[in-house]
Amino acid sequence: MARVIKQKPMNWVERLYVFECLRGLMTTLKHAARGLFRYEELPTISYPEGQPEIRNTYRAKHRLMLRPDGTPRCVACGMCAAACPAHCIFIEGTQSEDGRIEKRVMRFDIDHLTCVFCGLCVEACPVDALRMDTKKISFEHRTRDEFVAHLSDLIDWNPADYPDDAQSQVAPGGTKNKQALETWGLEVK
Amino acid sequence: MSNYYNMPKLPTENSPKVEIFVDDKAVMVPGDTNLLEALKAVGIETPHVCYHPYLPVSGNCRQCLVEQEGPRGRMLVISCYTPVAPGMKVYTPASSARVKNARKATQEFMLVNHPLDCPICDKAGECTLQENYMEAGQNEGRMRPEYGKNYHGNPEHQFIDAKGQLRGGKRVDIGPRIFLDEERCVQCDRCVRFMRSIAGDEQLQLAARADHTYITTFPGEKLDHEYDLCVTDVCPTGAMTAKYFRFQKRVWLLSHTPTVSMDDSLGANIWLDHADGKIYRMMPRCNPEVNRSWISNTTRLACLEFGKNRLPAIDMSAIKLEGKVAIVAGGECTIEDLAAIKMLAEKTGAEVFGGTFKKVGSPDGIAMSGDPMANRAGFKLMGLADDNLADLAKRASEFQTVIIVNNDVIGEGKGAADALKKIPNRIVLGAFDNETAKMATVAFGINHWSEVQGTMVNSLNMIQKLNAAPTAPDANLQPAYAVLSALAGTQFTSAFEAFKKAGEYASVLAGLSYDTIKSSGKLLEGGNA
Amino acid sequence: MEFITNAVMEVVNSKTWIEWLITIAKFALCFVPVCYILLLIPMERRGAGFMQDRQGPNRSYIKIPYFGKIRALGYIQNMCDGTKLFFKELHTPTGANKIIYNLAPIIPFALTFLVPCVMPWFGTMTFTFGDSVVSIPGSIIDSDVGVLLLFGISSLSAYGAVLAGWASKSKFAYLGSLRTTAMTVSYEVCQGLCLMGLLLLVGSFNLTDIVNWQEHHVWGIVAQPVAFICFLIATIAETGRAPFDVAEGEPELVAGYHTEYGAMQFGFFYMGEYAHIGICSLLISTLFLGGYAVPFVTTETMQANMGITLTALCGVLAFLALAFLHMIYRYSRKLAASKQSNKAVILQEYKLYKLVAWVATLVFVAGAIASYMFVNPGSTIVNGAPVYGIGVALGTAVIHLLVLLAKSVIFCWVWIWVRWTLPRFRYDHVMHLGWKIILNIALLNLVVTAIIAKLVGGN
Repeated sequence: MARVIKQKPMNWVERLYVFECLRGLMTTLKHAARGLFRYEELPTISYPEGQPEIRNTYRAKHRLMLRPDGTPRCVACGMCAAACPAHCIFIEGTQSEDGRIEKRVMRFDIDHLTCVFCGLCVEACPVDALRMDTKKISFEHRTRDEFVAHLSDLIDWNPADYPDDAQSQVAPGGTKNKQALETWGLEVK
Repeated sequence: MSNYYNMPKLPTENSPKVEIFVDDKAVMVPGDTNLLEALKAVGIETPHVCYHPYLPVSGNCRQCLVEQEGPRGRMLVISCYTPVAPGMKVYTPASSARVKNARKATQEFMLVNHPLDCPICDKAGECTLQENYMEAGQNEGRMRPEYGKNYHGNPEHQFIDAKGQLRGGKRVDIGPRIFLDEERCVQCDRCVRFMRSIAGDEQLQLAARADHTYITTFPGEKLDHEYDLCVTDVCPTGAMTAKYFRFQKRVWLLSHTPTVSMDDSLGANIWLDHADGKIYRMMPRCNPEVNRSWISNTTRLACLEFGKNRLPAIDMSAIKLEGKVAIVAGGECTIEDLAAIKMLAEKTGAEVFGGTFKKVGSPDGIAMSGDPMANRAGFKLMGLADDNLADLAKRASEFQTVIIVNNDVIGEGKGAADALKKIPNRIVLGAFDNETAKMATVAFGINHWSEVQGTMVNSLNMIQKLNAAPTAPDANLQPAYAVLSALAGTQFTSAFEAFKKAGEYASVLAGLSYDTIKSSGKLLEGGNA
Repeated sequence: MEFITNAVMEVVNSKTWIEWLITIAKFALCFVPVCYILLLIPMERRGAGFMQDRQGPNRSYIKIPYFGKIRALGYIQNMCDGTKLFFKELHTPTGANKIIYNLAPIIPFALTFLVPCVMPWFGTMTFTFGDSVVSIPGSIIDSDVGVLLLFGISSLSAYGAVLAGWASKSKFAYLGSLRTTAMTVSYEVCQGLCLMGLLLLVGSFNLTDIVNWQEHHVWGIVAQPVAFICFLIATIAETGRAPFDVAEGEPELVAGYHTEYGAMQFGFFYMGEYAHIGICSLLISTLFLGGYAVPFVTTETMQANMGITLTALCGVLAFLALAFLHMIYRYSRKLAASKQSNKAVILQEYKLYKLVAWVATLVFVAGAIASYMFVNPGSTIVNGAPVYGIGVALGTAVIHLLVLLAKSVIFCWVWIWVRWTLPRFRYDHVMHLGWKIILNIALLNLVVTAIIAKLVGGN
């Protein structure tokens, strides 16, 4: 059913147009005066030099979370690829060498030229392997191929960039992370 | 061994119709079958796990429960093991909350120790458990999370996972072609019944009891049988997975082409599952008359080679016919190819030889006729010789040109090689770069049978349709009938044009079209197979 | 031959050499509207930016030693864009009438040099030179039908649009030019009628007389407020600017009559439009805002107190320079505290602006003090009125000119302001407004003015 939005009928002052014009002119004048006399208070940032503040909930470039032993959490289930409306995720899985892990990811490509940054892949991931909280919002490369993020690119992130996320701190420690190794029953050196 | 006594009786076209009451509504159903099939015949799907139309009924999963009005009131019965009786009153979830709850409870119980690792399971997407689960709609587990999974199957394979849960039986190497995942198994014993009743070689068994039940082989033995990959098809869960397809592709990404295998003269009905122009697997396509739900490993695993070692397409002008011509046709030639061959033979006065040097076996009663020359009945139908390759070897010196179509004469019969080499102009039309192609003067790549549309006549004298899967490695490749008919002067632009030409040679094909041949084939009247 | 020589000598001898010098120098004023183009383009672009909370184009720069990248408050960007337009390839569409196609853009641009001829830029210069008293009018052509002449010349710019649209061989351009013509013609009627009330009060078509009347009575905006508003609307419509830019309505007509033009030919249309705005704002300030007249001060008072006037002028300028300095310092502080990566470059650039503004402040302050202390010209009484020397006359002219420019720049801003505020009218609404509303109001205004003038003035 079509939704009907009832608008308030205009009164005669509004219908005269002139006074509403003046109101509009006053609004723009206010903004123009701010730009002219208080230039530093403009909400616009001078982009490449001044960077916007991005929250970690912003859907930016993807990253793959890691297990404590440094391997990607991804199990190559293809849920993200299935959920992707732009069909920009390409995954190939293979047998894992680790006995407790059945399937590991062999190829994980995200074509950021096709990606629409909807975040459905992150929602779809059953093991919380894929996240979009890198805050990297600008992609600049020379060729089209370079816009495709490969597995090595996606797992290349620094835990220091995610101080608030406990999992990011635990996960990438690899062989250096004692607690993680204990959790996984690996030998602590 | 086999217990055929409780094989399900499937409804046929000639089944007597009886009236039963489903949800208090009178419906006419086939009278000589079980309730599950009868309900299916009137469009009511009943979820089932252990029931399989071509396996003996075991009735252990209790998933197909319906209510039946009996002398002691309405009782829950399993529809797969209840024969249809006239006037019986049946209640499905549509009218009975009891049935609905019972099915839901069964489903929940079945999933208690199931790992639910669908994301990494190759069966996900075509899993009976998943389908039933979605239908039952038990979306929230009632298990306390701290209790977790407790797998009590094979004690040798148990381990404690990272969350401290008792897990086990992952990736058990049960045979050369199959991995077993004991945890995913729901003990429906379909695989056991398949090996016992269909394969006739009881290699699998259910061990232990109750919660501890698990599938295993006899000690020290492996699951190794010509039909063992069929257990991955019958398995309703991801417990049995084929090694060749393991982690290759998620099944929902595959496209399916229904066609007929040209490996064997039974012409097993198959699905070719492909994605991005590559064939990933071959699955049996149910045809009650031909191969039911089974295909052999030989047939199945051949699909992995279809795209490899292929001959490239070259220019048609490379083919020159000189002197007396012999045409050697192989078993993989479809009726359309044979029509083109016959047309070419008439045009050039060539002599047509057919047959194979491979050993011709006997039918195994499952999905193989044992005859490697797939379209032998088609040869006979078209009036072509189907077993005179020995003649060719003897009379090789008579010919200046030989055209070998889809026949690895050299590779199969080493003895013929010397004889054929006497013929100066050797043209090979084939899909693969095999030994015959290597000795050819002109090796012309054509489409493999998986990439062409056509028909074949199997050993049961049924004409069956092949459909083209879009998996040709090179877009320039042509089907054999196109190349041969071009040599004859009038090129067939479509398979059906060639089929109409075949109708001129074999009157039994004259009235047929691809539309009148059903997907399950058509029995030819008055055939000579 | 001798006759011609005599005639020429007669003309030459009719004025003293200083009269000739100033009369010829006045032709430089023809270039004022062209300068308005240079002013209006950055004003429009950055003004639009500010209204939309943007910064506006400010990226291009020239590099100079020590101060580094100088962007001149975004002005360099416009120079770059102009240079680009200038060096682009001229393109003529197939099937276009080549002569007219290439001629059309010249028309509106050429007119910008003609129109200022009748404009009074300053009050009539009267000064003693030697023994004689010299009087030079403030406009290049001091015509008695100045207003009519001005409208006549200014309407010719419609030819540019018409010819461009017709010669382009494009339906969009053709439709655009038709709309432009219709609208220009319609609104010129309104313009003329709006003006009639004022002309009735002044009793002259001479623009200098109109300004003089306003200087000694009351400004046109007070005497004829309704006419002012109608005239403003009609003039905006006549320049074809938003909200009346249906002639180049992008959703329907790509770009109107100049769809097919590129490079500097497009640039001529573009500049012609801005120059037209400049001329129209000069005209409005002349007709309704007292023209060159300094508010609340008559020319005679000003001339009598030339020193104080100059002091006030320098004071105002010094205040503006200080205000600019204040803003620069405030922004620099904010920038220095920010994380912007190029702040060092910008702060270095601002050092130049600070330097210039400080120097300007000092100069203006010194000028104010000097003029207060030393400028005190004497006068001779001619016909009962004091007449001063050439210095005072020139000073008065400059102040008049500055006042006129200041007034017209305010109106230029109105054009930009309105454009970036109001949405475009539909074409039939534009015609409705012109013919059925503004025309009627202007007629009514004329009748009422006539009645009141008859009752009050009696002439």
